[in-house]
Amino acid sequence: MSSASPEPDAGAAAGSPSEFLKNIVGKRVKVRIGSGVDYHGLLTCLDGYMNVALEETEEWAGGRKTAEYGDCFLRGNNVLYISALEDL
Amino acid sequence: MDDATNTGISEPLDLVKLSLGERVFIKLRGDRTVTGVLHAYDAHMNVVLSQVEETIHFVDVTEEGNPLPPRAERRNVEMLFVRGDGVILISPTQQ
Repeated sequence: MSSASPEPDAGAAAGSPSEFLKNIVGKRVKVRIGSGVDYHGLLTCLDGYMNVALEETEEWAGGRKTAEYGDCFLRGNNVLYISALEDL
Repeated sequence: MDDATNTGISEPLDLVKLSLGERVFIKLRGDRTVTGVLHAYDAHMNVVLSQVEETIHFVDVTEEGNPLPPRAERRNVEMLFVRGDGVILISPTQQ
């Protein structure tokens, strides 16, 4: 905020959305889908459609854990956001 | 890809590829789930399954609008094509 420069620093916090996505691969993430259900898991990989592969996935709905999946594929069109649950 | 957390998964579709011939759980729009043996899929997530059990989940409400306990209706289908746009989630069933 101190200067007018929009230049991102070398850290992971700044940069482009795709840079963020690259940085969270292998991290624990929360994926929220359109219906409001959350998927917590280890982000194995994702693609340009925002299809997502997660490991050790927990499904959370209405504040309760509703399912667990070892591996899970989420179709990209359902994804509302992806949030990092640990430091980048 | 520098993370070697999983065997040979470099894109999400690989997870589905590894499930070919295995029993998978698929969550669909409209409170439906299906399990079946995965025979084929494509990039749209159109899917062909055999030995399918479809479950439709209901939450009925009383006349006052209070929810009753959840209810499920099941049916079995020998062979099923699922259009990809209904797919939310695919997971190999662990057994």
